[in-house]
Amino acid sequence: MAQMLQSEEVLFATESDVDDYNDQLPEIATEKYLIFSSDGLMYGIKAEQVKDIITDYTITYLPRVPDYVRGVINLRGQIIPVVDIRLRLGKPEQDNFCGIVVDVDGSMVGILVDMVEQMVDVPLDSILPVPTSTSQAMVSGMCTLHDGNTMLELDCGLLLHD
Amino acid sequence: MGDSILDMYLYETNTLLEQLDGILLTAEQADTFSEDSVNEIFRIMHTIKGSSAMMEFSSLMTVAHRIEDMFFIVREKGMDVVPEQTKPELFDMLFQAVDFFRGEIEKVENGDPLSQSIDHIVNKINSLIDKIQGNPAAPAANASAPAENASAPAAAEASAPAISAVNQDYPFGIHVFFDEGSGMENLRAFMLVNSVKDYCGDFITYPDNVETDPSTSDIIADQGFLLWFRTAEERDNATHAMNGAGSVREYQPVDAARPAPAPTQAPKDETPAPAAQAPKAEAPAAKPAPAPAPAAGQQHAKESLISVNLSKLDQLLAVVSEIVITESMVTASPDLKGLRLDNFTKSARDLRKLTDDLQDVSMSLRMVPVSGTFQKMNRIVRDMSKKLGKRAKLTLIGEDTEVDKTIVDAIGDPIMHIVRNSMDHGLEEKESDRVAAGKDPVGEVILAARHTGSEVIIEIKDDGQGVDLQAVLNKAIRQGLAQQDHEYSQKEILNFLMMPGFSTNTEVTEYSGRGVGMDVVKKNVADVGGTVSITSEWGKGMTTTLKIPLTMAIMDGMEVSVGGSMFTIPINSIQSSLKVAAKDVIHDPARGEMVKIRDNFYPIIRAKELFQMDKGYENIEDGILMWVESGEHSYCLFVDELLGEQQIVVKPLPNYVNSFGVKNYGITGCSILGDGSISIILDVINVYTAAHNIF
Repeated sequence: MAQMLQSEEVLFATESDVDDYNDQLPEIATEKYLIFSSDGLMYGIKAEQVKDIITDYTITYLPRVPDYVRGVINLRGQIIPVVDIRLRLGKPEQDNFCGIVVDVDGSMVGILVDMVEQMVDVPLDSILPVPTSTSQAMVSGMCTLHDGNTMLELDCGLLLHD
Repeated sequence: MGDSILDMYLYETNTLLEQLDGILLTAEQADTFSEDSVNEIFRIMHTIKGSSAMMEFSSLMTVAHRIEDMFFIVREKGMDVVPEQTKPELFDMLFQAVDFFRGEIEKVENGDPLSQSIDHIVNKINSLIDKIQGNPAAPAANASAPAENASAPAAAEASAPAISAVNQDYPFGIHVFFDEGSGMENLRAFMLVNSVKDYCGDFITYPDNVETDPSTSDIIADQGFLLWFRTAEERDNATHAMNGAGSVREYQPVDAARPAPAPTQAPKDETPAPAAQAPKAEAPAAKPAPAPAPAAGQQHAKESLISVNLSKLDQLLAVVSEIVITESMVTASPDLKGLRLDNFTKSARDLRKLTDDLQDVSMSLRMVPVSGTFQKMNRIVRDMSKKLGKRAKLTLIGEDTEVDKTIVDAIGDPIMHIVRNSMDHGLEEKESDRVAAGKDPVGEVILAARHTGSEVIIEIKDDGQGVDLQAVLNKAIRQGLAQQDHEYSQKEILNFLMMPGFSTNTEVTEYSGRGVGMDVVKKNVADVGGTVSITSEWGKGMTTTLKIPLTMAIMDGMEVSVGGSMFTIPINSIQSSLKVAAKDVIHDPARGEMVKIRDNFYPIIRAKELFQMDKGYENIEDGILMWVESGEHSYCLFVDELLGEQQIVVKPLPNYVNSFGVKNYGITGCSILGDGSISIILDVINVYTAAHNIF
């Protein structure tokens, strides 16, 4: 079992990390995260929340909603609202049509991001709380990935409701 | 129609029994009933009682009624009323009752006669009720009253076939019951005899001198009327006469205990024997009255409906719409450009036709007309008008209105309860009262369904006496629902009618009472996001209105475009579309725009401005005006282009989007068009209100 996990891990870890990573492998619970980038930052969403990754969907404009709600899309007959995370976080707008469909408390929402990066296993104990002083809203935790980047754990519930 | 009612009944009862089984199992494990499950069982029994009475399955009705009585006590007094040592007995009895219901339903499905001897189970329930009631010091007065009511039909059922064959030469009998309280039973029997004579000449009757002896009337009313024939064939012929005869409530073939050739024994010894058991054991097919299907047709009674999880249907719809889109992507693929592919083109055409059909069929799966539910009410009105001795007619309006399956499921029970209430409490007790009030002696119940832009509206209206507000208020005060020294508006008083446990009728009848009805109505309608409102005018009748949002209804809409986005305006709110020249537009001091159409001025609302769109026509001459009207508002909506009429399926907007209050801007839903794009459905009234609040 440990052997299998190990080989799986290799897929997601850079080679230099492998050695010291192996030592802490056995007892630690991990959770899969989907990493994406938006405005130069790396964000992670729990993989179990992710229902779909969409590209090139026509977004239907919806009047009279905040500008970060870009509209709705037709995902196989389901009407799903699309939130632009750049605008939601007060960043400049950029044309990108790569989206992640997540399930937030039973309702599906599309999130527009710059680019979907990869899937990683994150040991749960490596996720650290966000210092309260930072103004990064909607982030419920952060963690350093093996490649040295910092992943911000996105709280989808907060993304929708303030 | 008869079959579909039976199908519905079987399906509904089976579903309820399944539910009941689940509740019982959980309750037995917990060794007590929660308040919710007591209410649930009470409701299930109430429904089974009502629908069985409608189908004239009296054994089911009687048992359900007794169990309902029992749970009425439990509901009132709480579970503590059941002595500890009685609990296992209670559970046993309930499981037995479920099995009994199942058995009876199976008999109905197979076209077999229903059980006549339900005494053992009724006795069990009675003894349990006694035990429960023996516990508290003061037994509920109104609970014991229905108990007697209920046992009466049971007893009648058991003792009814006590009349025995009088002559051994005529062993094949028919036992006929006339409608209760129809009066002059002897003359009715005589008329029946006359019509039977058309089919076969040789038969005897009991009582035999009906046309001359009026005293036989009571015997017939009490015990039924018996006709005896020489052969089974003659008897079958005679049943044709029964079908045509008026006021025959029920008839069933009975055979003399002993087969026809009776060699040695004197007839006298034999004949008193066939008492209660006779019909049960030997009646070949005791048919449940007025619609005796031929034996071959009995198989038909099997359920032809299956229940499908709605989420599966949604899934199907989603896949189908993807197929349609993919199909057009394949057949219109740019790779095919410039190629001459005769066979491919032909097959592609066939494929398109098939996918279109597929889409139509799957769309129609969820949509059902309300007529099925409405038609059921015909039967209820008919039966109740006989039982209660009130003449009434049912008028159906808009019964072909199509609504989503979930809505039809949810409104069936509520409508039934309301119609029953109208018949029972709404219409005047006596026709003379109606005449005195200047009304047609025949009461009327109107059932109407219609679509507005965003809702299905169902109205149940009667022209009876209306609601006695004072009586309702007094009752509400007695029930502790209202306060003595508080002024209540008419609306508030009417709302008491829909509170749990409220009923203005102190007497419990087979059809209504106990106030279980209106709170069920409210609950079921609220489950699909709808509202119930009651209006009443003293002396003129009451109207109950169910307003249910269209979760997914098909609607005719006009597609228009504004700034590259598509919007749908419900066809029924469009008056016409028109192009106007800039000089026709009149400005008011507040810079509002108006246009004159046929001697009236109408305000112009620019969709582009209302919806804050970047693109879209500015010049009034480029675009087009849609003259719309809804309620008392009439105005012109300025849009870019008219795209055409289309039938659309209304989909609700995601809750997240609704949380921004887009409904207030007239955006009620959306619809997926054939090419997969989304169109936004506008609600004409809210567009007007929004425009007024902004500008």
